[in-house]
Amino acid sequence: MLGIRRISTNRWWHKKKNWIFFAIFLLLVFVRISKGSIYKDFYYFISKPFWPGQFQKEIILESIDQEYLIKLNLLKKDNLRLRQILSFQESTSTENISAAVISRKTGSWWRQIILNKGSRDGVEIGNIVIGPGGLLGTVKDTSLFTSSVTLITSPESKLGVWVDRIQINGLLVGLGDDYPNLILYSKDADIKVGDFVSSSPASTLLPPNIPIGIVQSIDETLKSKKTAKISLLAKPHVIDWVQILKVSI
Amino acid sequence: MNKFFAKKSSIISFIFIPIIFLWHPNWLGFLGVQPYWPLFWLLPWSMINGSINGLIFGLFLGLILDSLTLDDSFTQIPGLVCCGFLFGRIKFHSSILVGHFRYGLVCSFGSFLCGTLYFLQILFRNFSDSNSLMLIPSVKNILAEVFLTGFFAPFICSKLLKMFKFSKGKSQ
Repeated sequence: MLGIRRISTNRWWHKKKNWIFFAIFLLLVFVRISKGSIYKDFYYFISKPFWPGQFQKEIILESIDQEYLIKLNLLKKDNLRLRQILSFQESTSTENISAAVISRKTGSWWRQIILNKGSRDGVEIGNIVIGPGGLLGTVKDTSLFTSSVTLITSPESKLGVWVDRIQINGLLVGLGDDYPNLILYSKDADIKVGDFVSSSPASTLLPPNIPIGIVQSIDETLKSKKTAKISLLAKPHVIDWVQILKVSI
Repeated sequence: MNKFFAKKSSIISFIFIPIIFLWHPNWLGFLGVQPYWPLFWLLPWSMINGSINGLIFGLFLGLILDSLTLDDSFTQIPGLVCCGFLFGRIKFHSSILVGHFRYGLVCSFGSFLCGTLYFLQILFRNFSDSNSLMLIPSVKNILAEVFLTGFFAPFICSKLLKMFKFSKGKSQ
């Protein structure tokens, strides 16, 4: 009777192959429970060299640019239509002139740039100059081939601006440094850091809605007014090409 | 032709001041501020030709540079005229090395004078606005300009002085 009993070496757990299957099974159970996180992380590393590269990114960015441009044009048309309905002041843009910056004084007493287009190209005193980002300044003087632009950072510059979030007009004054000062003649104005400043619809010097800058810091020490430092969106010390807007307001 | 250039080098170099002033090379700047270029020319000119000549050419330089800047309310003439007159009273130093450093100090002082006079005009103009915020950038402008002008003056002034002396010797 004892002789026919199975010897212990034949038990299933003595076989290495079975243990391997068991380990794989446990691993798969773990993968199932963890919802494939290890597998996905592993895939992350092996697929990394094949991710969409710079080239694809550029194509997508270009598409986004085009989309924004189309949207911008639609919004511009909408804006014009609404302004006409509300009988608001509107700017009739006749023509823009592209010009290169040939002289730049942006760091010292004098805050001005000189452009390579002058009265010969139709530039007139009072024309608005914008660069990538927004407003740069106004044409103060023209020669036959060049035009000189007073930057909005110049102490000579004083402009009416509009803070869109709180719907209030203010005065933007150049101080001779890179951050012009926004003066709000109301102590109760709820201006905050990060507020967007654009040209005022009430200004007689500028067409409305040209981006200017963002509020960087606020000074509330004065009794009757609030002042804020504005970080400009267009950086005059690096811009090489600008647009001169021939506008009649 | 070469003789003509040698004789007239001081006047020819005068023409280049407004060009450099407009060029405003950023790589030479400090905190976005440039050295005060006209002083580099005015110092050797006044030292050689005297106070009255310095005063007159200070006025000329001021007129030209004012025409290049857009700030109608402020002028560089008072500073340059004062500098032209004062520089004319400076005597040559026997030691070359001391002379070199003296150019730096004199130009620094001149730049400080011009900067302060310009700043006073801005303050006076904006006095009614009580715009004390202009004080910090203006002080920064003056100090950076003083430092840069003093730094470059020994190199440029000594070269120009040599050139002007040579051209004066040729023309006599």
